[in-house]
Amino acid sequence: MDFDWMKIPYAFLTLFIVVNYGFLLNAFIQKIGARVGRRHGIPIWQNYADMFKNYGLRSSITHGVMFYLGPVFRLSGGVGLILFVPIIYGSTMFSNMSFAGDLILALYFIFFGTLGMALGAGESGHPHAAIGITRGLSQVTTAELPFALAVFSVALQYQTLSVTDIVAAQQGGVLNWTLFTNPLAVSAAMLSFLGSMMRPPFDVVIAPQEIPIGPPTEYHSSYLALMQTNRAIFPIAKIVIYMNLFFGGATDWPTFFFKVFMIYLWSAFVGVVFPRFRVEQSIRWFLIWAVPLGVLSIVMV
Amino acid sequence: MAYLVMATGFILILIGFYGALTNRNLLRMIVAFTIANTGVHLVIVAIGYMHGRTAPIIDSAVAASDAVLRIIDPVPQALVLTAIVIGVGVTALMLAYAYKLYESKRTLDIGKFTELKW
Amino acid sequence: MVNALYIIAAAMAAAFFLGLIKEDKRGLAYTVTLLALAFMTWVSAGWLWAFAVDGVLTVEIFTAGTEPPFAINLRMGLAEAALTLLVNLTGLLSAIYLKDTLLELGRRAMAVLLIATMALCGIILTRDAFNLFVFFELTVIATGGLILFSDANDDGRALSAGFKYLIVSQVISVFLLLGVLFAYHVTGTLNIDGMNGTQWALLNGGAIAFFMMFIAVVAELKPFPANGWALDIYESAHPAFSAIFSAASSAATVFALDKLLLIGGADWLPVATGVGILTFVASNLFALPQTNDRRLLGYSSIAQIGLVLTVLGQRDILGESTEFIAFGLLVSHSVAKAGLFWLSGLVAGRGLSDWSVIAKRPLLVFAFVTFICMLSGLPPFPGFYAKWDLVRLLASEGRLALLALILIGALIEAAYLFRWFGYIIKREAPAEAVVCVAHKVLPVFVAVFAGWALGFVWGELSGRANLLLAIPLLFALSFLLLDWLPAWVKNSIAIVGMSTFFYLTYPGYDPLQLIFAIIILVGGAITLLASYSAHGRRVGFYPSAMLMYAGLAMLIHATDTFGFFAAWEFLTIGSYFLILRGKESEPHALSYIIFSLGGAFMILAGFAIAADGSYHYLIESLRQLEQPVAPWVFAMLAIGFMTKTAAIGVHIWLPGAHAEAETDVSPMVSGILLKAGLYGMMVLLLTMGKQQLYGVELTHVLLWIAAITAFLGNLMAIFQEDAKRLLAYSSIGQMGYALFGLALMNHLGWLMALMFVINHYIYKSMLFLAVGGVAKRTGTRDMYKMGGLITLMPFSFVAVLIGIIAVSGVPPLSGFGGRWIFYNAILDSDYRLPMVVIFLAGPIAFLYLFRLIYAIFLGQLKDEFRQIKEAPFWIVLPQMIYVVLLLIFAVFPGIALRRVDEYLTRFFPEGGLGWATNQITSNYGYWNPVAIMITIGVIFCTLFAWLLFVNRKAQKVKQFNIVFSAERPFRPETTHFAWNFFAPYRKALGFMVQPFVTRFWGGLTELLHSTADFSRKLYNGNGQTYAFHFLAFVVVVFFMRLGV
Repeated sequence: MDFDWMKIPYAFLTLFIVVNYGFLLNAFIQKIGARVGRRHGIPIWQNYADMFKNYGLRSSITHGVMFYLGPVFRLSGGVGLILFVPIIYGSTMFSNMSFAGDLILALYFIFFGTLGMALGAGESGHPHAAIGITRGLSQVTTAELPFALAVFSVALQYQTLSVTDIVAAQQGGVLNWTLFTNPLAVSAAMLSFLGSMMRPPFDVVIAPQEIPIGPPTEYHSSYLALMQTNRAIFPIAKIVIYMNLFFGGATDWPTFFFKVFMIYLWSAFVGVVFPRFRVEQSIRWFLIWAVPLGVLSIVMV
Repeated sequence: MAYLVMATGFILILIGFYGALTNRNLLRMIVAFTIANTGVHLVIVAIGYMHGRTAPIIDSAVAASDAVLRIIDPVPQALVLTAIVIGVGVTALMLAYAYKLYESKRTLDIGKFTELKW
Repeated sequence: MVNALYIIAAAMAAAFFLGLIKEDKRGLAYTVTLLALAFMTWVSAGWLWAFAVDGVLTVEIFTAGTEPPFAINLRMGLAEAALTLLVNLTGLLSAIYLKDTLLELGRRAMAVLLIATMALCGIILTRDAFNLFVFFELTVIATGGLILFSDANDDGRALSAGFKYLIVSQVISVFLLLGVLFAYHVTGTLNIDGMNGTQWALLNGGAIAFFMMFIAVVAELKPFPANGWALDIYESAHPAFSAIFSAASSAATVFALDKLLLIGGADWLPVATGVGILTFVASNLFALPQTNDRRLLGYSSIAQIGLVLTVLGQRDILGESTEFIAFGLLVSHSVAKAGLFWLSGLVAGRGLSDWSVIAKRPLLVFAFVTFICMLSGLPPFPGFYAKWDLVRLLASEGRLALLALILIGALIEAAYLFRWFGYIIKREAPAEAVVCVAHKVLPVFVAVFAGWALGFVWGELSGRANLLLAIPLLFALSFLLLDWLPAWVKNSIAIVGMSTFFYLTYPGYDPLQLIFAIIILVGGAITLLASYSAHGRRVGFYPSAMLMYAGLAMLIHATDTFGFFAAWEFLTIGSYFLILRGKESEPHALSYIIFSLGGAFMILAGFAIAADGSYHYLIESLRQLEQPVAPWVFAMLAIGFMTKTAAIGVHIWLPGAHAEAETDVSPMVSGILLKAGLYGMMVLLLTMGKQQLYGVELTHVLLWIAAITAFLGNLMAIFQEDAKRLLAYSSIGQMGYALFGLALMNHLGWLMALMFVINHYIYKSMLFLAVGGVAKRTGTRDMYKMGGLITLMPFSFVAVLIGIIAVSGVPPLSGFGGRWIFYNAILDSDYRLPMVVIFLAGPIAFLYLFRLIYAIFLGQLKDEFRQIKEAPFWIVLPQMIYVVLLLIFAVFPGIALRRVDEYLTRFFPEGGLGWATNQITSNYGYWNPVAIMITIGVIFCTLFAWLLFVNRKAQKVKQFNIVFSAERPFRPETTHFAWNFFAPYRKALGFMVQPFVTRFWGGLTELLHSTADFSRKLYNGNGQTYAFHFLAFVVVVFFMRLGV
């Protein structure tokens, strides 16, 4: 097997950029949310501080093997996802491991971390963790559905499942973006996007008041540090898929930063306006408002 | 003449059936069946009868040579004897049953023997 | 040959001689009786041998030294020889059975028994109408006498039954006698063949004469509704007598009617058919609510004879096959019914569940099974061959309504028979044991032997492959003889046998078949490893399991529709017995067999319609079918196969059946058996392709059914508290996916279906074994009662973990391959809406899978389980094999799929996959399982190492050391969050899993039961009413036939 070993340092470079951007972006979005609520918000470096603090903690306990492996699964999911998707269109340097599989691989690999995390949290034995997981899984089944429909619609539209080919088809002007060639699919996907960003109105999974922070309840120290790292990577990875599928991808890093930020902002924008849904409410909401759009997009393609 | 006998026979059969279906008493039912059987026997005899012929006894009166033209059909007559014998047998059996049934429940009412149903 | 007249003479002589024996020399009298009956049997047997083997021609026997019509003549032919043998043998065996009773009653009873047997032989042999009447009357008198005697040690109820019989037979005899005499009057002869020669039936008077004879003989066949008397006799008489009444009398009377129908000609056939089918359906229906065993058998007897009558009535289209079919049904009925009546004499109680006393006697259970399979027309018994040909011919002539009625009646009959079997195996046995005395058991086993022998004979006569010579079946049946061995020996034999069979047949498979063959034979052998964990002899397990595997193997080897259908029946019966072995499985096994047989009947009818009368119909020939037949055949076969894959609507049997089955049986019936339905669908779709019915594309309908099945199957799975039920519902969903792939009718859809076939076998077998092992250790299947078992049962945990990752389709395990092919396949498809439903189904799988692993292995360990151990070695071993298989298949899917992919190009040339080294490409995308596995592996290991490094001092803490609102929980029960796990989901979508389908089928069953319960009040027990029924019956038939 002829493997280009240079891919490995390139992958580390990608990761390095994404992690840092993720830390900053998360804090920035949080700050925006705070300012809308007339609060001061966290400093922009807060996430770095948290991470170093968590790695530095001396005491750490474990509840068992799966508990130990949970964060590993979680971060593997995030890192893998970033590496399986071409980040910068046309750049072999930042296409990473996208030769291993196409869009479907990315879609299904999203669940790798979720599943591992759920298992790890499950072993902690804390009921709040389990409650958080049931809520999260319940919500994700319908939240992901419009996105899956939109992906299918886009795949039908471009007759390919390769992310690179989909981005290629959108080059040559803003009007070639899927956003304009298939607006129904994009709207469905963007509604679905709200459900997967852990922001209101769909953040009952980690609902701080009822089940303090949900699945990760029992996690602390270096476990939590790993998960924080993932929390920086994962949204970016997810947004990269959206960007590639619907918004023409990115041909260089500045475009990448801008588009990712704008897409992230959409969930923050909705989040600061609406209160939280209960799980069954959000399930119904996705089925009633988002899924029909997805269905339409499939029919109309 | 033959038709009269046949008609009588059928009437007897119908009377017999009517009697058997309307009388709830076992013995009366048996009697009714006997009547019906008698009717059947009459009908059989009437079937074999041919107008203007004589009894199927080949002796001095009827020569064997022209018997085919002169005697009535002997077969039904022979059969009716068998039928009567069988009828007696069945009647006897039914009477035995009636006796046993009466022994078991001290009643002859057919409507009382309905434990077996559905 | 001994002159057949000696049959009659011997009985008469012996009966007279009995009168000369002193009353107290009962032993001598009994010996004489037995000798006479044995002699009669020997004579008939000799003739049968002469006709069947030596090819002697039919013999006319003249009496009184004159030829007919001047004297009575008898005829001895093949049919007569067979029937007299049946009658005499039944008489002989009943006499043996009645030993105690006859010795107590004395010579008179013996004489009556002899006369009864003789009279029945007379009915069969005679060719003279009046003589027929005489023998009928003799039968009546002898029957009446026997009932009278058989009441001697009963409670008096038989007396009233006998009297009712006499009342009706009086009326019948009036009709018969008048009919015979008028017929004589019209034709001038009493000889049946002489009457046959004349065209007299065309005359009006002749028609009435014939009608009277006809209706009288028909009445002796206990037609609906003029049969209340017969039911009462069956219920109350001594079982040995009922055996004669059911087996021998019916056979003789049917033959008499057949003779009469020769006279009547074609005009009377519809009447026979009408009366027959009405009797068949109504009696079977009325049998449903019966609780008394003998009355139930009575209803069943009447129904069976109704079916034979129907067959006789179809002589115009059945032609030369009439005898083969009618005799096939008749001997099945006679042998089985005689056997069952004899068996009923061994059981003290009269309720159906009182028969559970025989459950402890495997041989008696085997006898019972033989009998009900014969009655239900299951292979390899004569009724099966008969039913196959009957359906084939009816379908070819377009008599579909009749066909439907026959199948419905047969299904109802199978339903109550198998329900009864369920009672026997599963109900609490009454205190008193079975009284097994040699002279009572002997007749039962002669009947069993006769049943199997007749099955062989019919197989030879059928001109088809004799099922009893099929190697897989013989292998399975041989386990009946080996059942005394300890389980582990039988298990080894089974594994070796299956592997050897695969090794020998390996070169003959095409790639599609090969996949199924590997799953069934090799996969079956691996699953059987788990059976080493069972101790003792495990009586009945191996014959059932091997029967199922034999059926599966034969299914794949079948080339013609007959072989295919027979195999289908075998695997159904085998799996039914397997499922029934579970502790609480009685109702579920019943619904399984009913749905399966219903589906099988659809397949049967579909094949028959497709064959259009041709004798050997290859499955390949389905390809040539054209409109308008083709779509109907397609629909029927598809419905039939879908009952096995548990498509929505016919799925309700599956959860219970799979969940209640034993630990090592669940993987067999889930991982392997379900594939039979998929194999059927594949064969169907490969040969028939897309079909249009009223402009609707049937594969499109299939797509919808499959998508809804996948969705609802998954949705129902998430609400289960019972781990095995959860897996069972998950199977419904998985089968929905596979069916969906097939229904896409494109290259990748099929590949995906095959991927699901393989994957589902591996991970579902693994999960069922793991969960079964846990259930074995914890003693419960409710997940919320478990929890925290990960450290106690680590191997089971690993199996479940790998299993759920694979099922969910998350990379890098093999489930992802299925999903990837699925997306590529649907891009090729023209239909988009069903996809929406199946998209919804996908993520729901995560819910139940997480619940499965969390509620059992994670969370809080309960106090009562702190001491439990890992599941037994032999249950864990196959799981570990599956883990390895799954990993291999995940990295190298090509080893199984590549050849299939090439093979599928023959049928779907477009859209195959590209198989470069490790890189799999489609028209739309690409996938590199090795790269995925390596990438994920490297990332995972790196991070794991990092965590180990930074977290090297982590301490393992105790169970309750968690952040719990500054309190410390101390009861795991209150802390383990597992019950009603997805409550919000139920609130949102619970309305979709209301048991509509269960209610529908339940309502239908209820409707049938209440109809039957209401209508059977017709038989009010009054002899006069019964006589009235008969007269009304006569009038109705008369007006139907002649009045118009």
